Amino acid sequence: MEELLSKLAECVEFGKINIASPYPPQMKGQEGADEITRKALDQGVHPQDILSKGLMPGMERIGIKFRENKVFVPQVLMSAKAMSTAMIHLKPHFLSGAAKQKGTFIIGTVQGDLHDIGKNLVSMMVEGNGYNVVDLGTDVASDKFIAAIKEHPGAFVGLSALLTTTMASMEKITKDIKAALPDTVVTIGGAPVNNDFCQKIGADCYSPDPQGIVEFLNSKVA
Amino acid sequence: MMIHETSYLFEDLTLDLDHLSSMLGYPGGLLPEPFNFYLEQAVSDAPSLCNIKGAWILKENMEFSGDRTLISIDGIEFGIGKTVTHELRNSSAAVFFICTAGEKISRRSQELLMSENPVLGYVFDLLGSMIVESATDELQAEIKKMAQSQGMNITNRYSPGYCKWNVADQHKLFSFFPTECCGIRLTDSALMHPIKSVSGIIGVGEQVQYRDYMCALCNQVDCILRNHHNRLK
Ligand code: B12
Repeated sequence: MEELLSKLAECVEFGKINIASPYPPQMKGQEGADEITRKALDQGVHPQDILSKGLMPGMERIGIKFRENKVFVPQVLMSAKAMSTAMIHLKPHFLSGAAKQKGTFIIGTVQGDLHDIGKNLVSMMVEGNGYNVVDLGTDVASDKFIAAIKEHPGAFVGLSALLTTTMASMEKITKDIKAALPDTVVTIGGAPVNNDFCQKIGADCYSPDPQGIVEFLNSKVA
Repeated sequence: MMIHETSYLFEDLTLDLDHLSSMLGYPGGLLPEPFNFYLEQAVSDAPSLCNIKGAWILKENMEFSGDRTLISIDGIEFGIGKTVTHELRNSSAAVFFICTAGEKISRRSQELLMSENPVLGYVFDLLGSMIVESATDELQAEIKKMAQSQGMNITNRYSPGYCKWNVADQHKLFSFFPTECCGIRLTDSALMHPIKSVSGIIGVGEQVQYRDYMCALCNQVDCILRNHHNRLK
């Protein structure tokens, strides 16, 4: 079992989706996240262990490498794809309650802004680290965030903005959320945003990269 | 003043695919399988996904303000900031430009990113950015020709949103062009649709100097381009 889980972690870290996938070159012809997850389930490995001891450590390792500029966006996307392929097999177990995610993370690009690659990367990384992610898309206004939080009580929120002009919208949304649901934890990110701005608008955490936010969320659910 | 509108074909552009490959994490063009095929596929699909257009207008009577952070044209003030003012010094006129790669390439990128092939989607995203940058190079070459025919030089190009020039000034810039010129729309939040679009200014004059870009001019600390340049050093 240990061996299967560490193999699975490796598949996620290096973006090996399934046996047919030629990527990464050094793992060509080997089984991928798809086959190994199925095998583990067949052998009776608990779905929770598959998530926590197989998939998540792999995702964590790629997140750290990305933060350290050792890998680039495509490698992260391959890891996320390997992860989500494995998750297809785990979904029924989350739905039945046999396995649990750590919490819910609601993410969106703020009203007035349409940039989404950064937001998507954060969304994939957070999901890969064991959270249920609700992606509201781009150009998202306060009401929509607030409605989603009400639907998922206790959910964390992530706001993304890529222009200085849409940072104003980020401020408004943060304040609207805090006014309607004061206990909500709001995290922010995007190229022009920084820690000072985060404090100024009353958000709870800023991170320049997805891994930082994962670590922050983990500290909150620990 | 006359607006000059041009359209380009994908085939007209000079694209540095080695640069794209290194933005993907593989400097030297050695992309592993299947990323190499994605690049080929993106380049072969790109012509049908592009609607590349640019427009520019020459504005004479440019005035610099006393404190060296503003210029004024037709009574409209642009807060271009110290850095850009310095780069534009000695200009007697300014060209404003807008340029876009069109909408389809971003749509294709988005579809792929969220579903079956995220890396191919990302390749389309990077390619879309390169297309608009390269089309703007062509536009700039055209502007240079115009200037030279009148015995003048041009500066490099500078965009609202960079170097402390507030991105909201794009509203003033767009006021020089008819609505939806080149198919570009500006939202209230100063975001251009399509996403793969750029806008900016070029200084024109007998005494101006063309200077290459320097990351040091910019205040964006955590920029992927800066990280990239630093890595290459
Ligand atoms: C490529 C690029 C372009 C391309 C493509 C744009 C696109 N989005 O497709 C082109 C050339 C078209 C372009 C145009 C413009 N751009 Co531009 N562009 C960039 C650049 C270099 C990279 C953007 C990118 O794709 N990054 C890759 C993704 C993965 O990164 P990301 O989105 O930042 O997300 C990461 C983090 O920010 C973080 N994150 C993001 N969201 C969240 C959310 C949470 C909760 C957390 C925790 C983290 C997080 O995690 C992500 C993964 O690491 C940035 C500079 C930069 N950021 O490096 C400038 C940048 C975004 N552009 C900028 C500007 C000004 C413009 C223009 C306005 C210039 C102009 N006047 O023409 C136009 C606007 C275009 C428009 N449609 O309106 C400014 C914006 C700042 C500002 N002043 O408002 C930037 C920051 C550059 C700078 N140095 O100032 N641009």
